[in-house]
Amino acid sequence: MNKSSYHILRVGLAVTFLWVGILIAKNPLDWGSFIEPWAAGFLPGSLHSAMVATAVMDIVVGFLLLIDFWTWLAALVAAFHLVVVLVVTGIGNVTVRDIGLLAGMLALMADSRPPSFLARLKSRKYA
Amino acid sequence: MVPMTAFALLFTLSAIGVAETVYLIRKRLASERPVCPIGGGCEIVLESKYNKTFGIHNDVLGLLFYLAASVVTACLVIGIEPMTLWETVFPIMIAFGSLMSLYLTYLQWRVIKFWCFWCLMSASTIWLMAIIIIISASI
Repeated sequence: MNKSSYHILRVGLAVTFLWVGILIAKNPLDWGSFIEPWAAGFLPGSLHSAMVATAVMDIVVGFLLLIDFWTWLAALVAAFHLVVVLVVTGIGNVTVRDIGLLAGMLALMADSRPPSFLARLKSRKYA
Repeated sequence: MVPMTAFALLFTLSAIGVAETVYLIRKRLASERPVCPIGGGCEIVLESKYNKTFGIHNDVLGLLFYLAASVVTACLVIGIEPMTLWETVFPIMIAFGSLMSLYLTYLQWRVIKFWCFWCLMSASTIWLMAIIIIISASI
């Protein structure tokens, strides 16, 4: 990926995650209402605690993306989180937006993966 | 009362500021030259004797400013007390940052006589934040 486009994508996704984290922290239960009833049953604690934890995670992921630190790991966590969101919220009007965010996050993850990780994969393949 | 759209824009701008200043700090610590997309005076300005204020690098001061702006905006949106303090401090912070940016832009224009893309981008970011606050206060 071109260096400029990588940074534009990284900062754009970082702002999205940070802002969503702040909005969830403002009204945790409103955001929790998006969760399908079958999925809410799997929550280990209360819906409020789960949403506050989600807000904290979104803010941490967003901050790591923003400062370009552990970007690969932050993008991996964010991509996993988006898959969980897609599964537990069902198909709705905003599903396509989450798919777009997931695609962007996967692109960022692919581009920021550590070189040693790829080298290790290749060495295993030909061992 | 600042509307939510204004908060979203203010937060986005301060986050862009954080990303930009972190980039400049990283480049400086690694003794690398930052990419200078427009013009070629970035390193002349960034390595000039005016790159510090009160002994602290301007990029570090910028980062602290943008981090504080992000945190204050987040507190205002979430509703973390003391709200009156945040509502008072925020416009003062932005006004101070705007004046500081005005001074640093003057230095580039009249004293150093070279333009730095990143410094101008940071100044524009702060001035845009000031414009948003003025517009939202007048609505």
